[in-house]
Amino acid sequence: MIISQLGYYSLIFGLLTSILIFFNSSIQIKKNNSVISNKTTGLIGFQFFFVIISFISLIYSFIISDFSNETVYNNSHTTKPLFYKITGTWGNHEGSLLLWLLVLTGVLLGFIFKSKNEPNNYRQLTILFHQIIVIGFFVFILKTSNPFNEIFPVATEGLGLNPILQDPALGIHPPILYLGYVGTSIIFSAALASMICSHVNKSWAKEIKFWILFSWFFLTGGILLGSIWAYYELGWGGFWFWDPVENVSLMPWLSLTALLHCVVTLEKRELFKNWTIVLCIITFALSMAGTFLVRSGILNSVHTFANDPSRGIYILTFLLVLVLLSFVVFVIYENKNFVQKSEIFAWSKETSILINNWFILYFLSVVLIGTIYPIFLDVILDEQISVGPPFYNKLILPFLIPFVLFMSIGPSMKWIKTNIKIGVKSFFIIMVTLILSFVTIYYIGSKNIFLLLLFIGFFYLLLKSLDQLRQKTKNFAQIFSHTGFSLLLISILLNSFSSNEIIRNIQVGESFSLKNEKILFQKILVEKEKNYESIIGFFEILDEKNKIINLHPEIRIYNEPEMATSEASIKTSLFKDRFITINLIKDQNFFNVRYQHKPFMIWVWISTLIIMLGGLFAIFRKNKEVNI
Amino acid sequence: MFMKSKILQTIKILIIFILISFNLKNIAIALTFPEEQTINITKNLRCLICQGQTIHESNSDFAESMKKYIKGELENGKTDEEIFSSLVEKYGQWIVYDPGISRNTLLLWALPLLLFLVGGAIIGKRILKKI
Repeated sequence: MIISQLGYYSLIFGLLTSILIFFNSSIQIKKNNSVISNKTTGLIGFQFFFVIISFISLIYSFIISDFSNETVYNNSHTTKPLFYKITGTWGNHEGSLLLWLLVLTGVLLGFIFKSKNEPNNYRQLTILFHQIIVIGFFVFILKTSNPFNEIFPVATEGLGLNPILQDPALGIHPPILYLGYVGTSIIFSAALASMICSHVNKSWAKEIKFWILFSWFFLTGGILLGSIWAYYELGWGGFWFWDPVENVSLMPWLSLTALLHCVVTLEKRELFKNWTIVLCIITFALSMAGTFLVRSGILNSVHTFANDPSRGIYILTFLLVLVLLSFVVFVIYENKNFVQKSEIFAWSKETSILINNWFILYFLSVVLIGTIYPIFLDVILDEQISVGPPFYNKLILPFLIPFVLFMSIGPSMKWIKTNIKIGVKSFFIIMVTLILSFVTIYYIGSKNIFLLLLFIGFFYLLLKSLDQLRQKTKNFAQIFSHTGFSLLLISILLNSFSSNEIIRNIQVGESFSLKNEKILFQKILVEKEKNYESIIGFFEILDEKNKIINLHPEIRIYNEPEMATSEASIKTSLFKDRFITINLIKDQNFFNVRYQHKPFMIWVWISTLIIMLGGLFAIFRKNKEVNI
Repeated sequence: MFMKSKILQTIKILIIFILISFNLKNIAIALTFPEEQTINITKNLRCLICQGQTIHESNSDFAESMKKYIKGELENGKTDEEIFSSLVEKYGQWIVYDPGISRNTLLLWALPLLLFLVGGAIIGKRILKKI
């Protein structure tokens, strides 16, 4: 009760601090002070502190199951394990927005400490722009999504958390994803500020690269966790469905990836200044648009906690204001200091980065148009269409081949001008690529030429990336992320083209087979846990070498809210996952059993981790340079 | 001039790639067995009572009865296209995950490709300016 009050008033104090910082910064900018006063830094610290207090109060309310709090009442239950009580804090609309605010104020504080060597008015302006976003979200939370609403009379029991959200991967998925998602806000503020101060130069690029890498790293991690969760929790054996909500996280990732490459050119050659700024703005706008799409209830998915149109309208208006603001800033300051000094030669790293951005933005436009086109069609013509995997596969897959070819040769390009040499070594790599591709195609038994071309492209990228390990100056960040990316593409392709599955309705004691394996349904067991009852199926699988593998899929019947979920049982090995789920069939003794072979599944996760490792290398390499 | 013809050639190759990918998919689907054919169809259909799931993935009553229906239709000798069009007639375009090319979806397909060409033109102009 009191804790909720504390959280609520902390939010109000946080908002007041924001307004104070906003005016303080405006005055400082007018005065043209050469240092940021301790007062400003202190205020930003306080702001962060207030949000933390508010956030902790909410977590505490969840832990003690304070049902006088509406958010807790709607999303928690006393029988839930402590871990899910805590993760339930951000498993709902109000709490997740508070988390958004926490990251939003946190990255500003981080920026203040990291940007000490930058010019003062640039920092002040960044603070100013950032506070506009912060104030917007404070008002949004307090007006439409207050997490501390009280209800009376106080209920003795809550409504519980959606069982499919009660999962360890999904517990930490929102915080990690938000670090990436909301991390882009500081890129946006800093981009606008640097533009006004005509500070778009090498030193700014170096500075902002950290935040780009930071957001990119966590966004990648967040998407990875979400995919892993979808893979084992949703029980269909897939990890990516081109669902609008997935797309919404992929869009900022794509534009961050483009930005990442672009900002390097700015850092080394002072080129593409305007383009970098535009990408910074696009990235944050996509994060905001994603929040709008998910929170407005336009999209139907597990992420849509509440369908409240007023929330959607607020975010949309706010997004438009920010886009308009950045547009005005861009138009006014675009030509002020941007002199295009150097030309670009066709065979250079600059060109390869332009091509990289060209393709990535094309992929981005496919995802963006595929996601929002149905919404517009629905609104304007009142016609409903579904845009699913076939659309994305057709528009993306063919373009992946030239994309990976450019990606293979890009890193060996030099800045300014490159002399292309085709030696014995290149011939050797091409031969190995062809052999590997043909063997793979033969192995999965396909006669599809298009598939062969895809494999050739992906293997070529893999070998070219690994080949760079022999160079004297190794760029580990790039080698790791490119190697990881090629491995990811190869494993996704192998996974989707050589998966096998079988679905049978059987009773205990019956068996069936898939490929050379025999699957025996031994028995079922009913167990009672604190917050659910579980029916466990015992399966014995005899593989081709007569080795026994035991799998135990479950059906869980949760008590609050009452809902049945199916828990997959997965046996992972280096080359394939064995994946089994069971479901009840109404009023019968039969179970619906679904058994799948998912080849190279673990490599999808490993390769994404390798990509992230590349990001880590880039972050730490930057620090080393600063130390020197 | 040499570069320009090279770029034209690249675009030509890209178009061929797109055509190949469209055709091969149809051929690949036509060559598969009835069970796989059912899966290929149900993977492309939305389970209308679920949230963002295909009929293939779903275990709902609706999805189960749809699977039986489609299998039956295939055994009756109906082609994929006939099954899809009868379902679209009954449930609307919403049920098919592949939007297909029609009057309503022309922009959906064309816009990204158009943007790709525009982007390519801008970059090409920038790089080839001095040649």
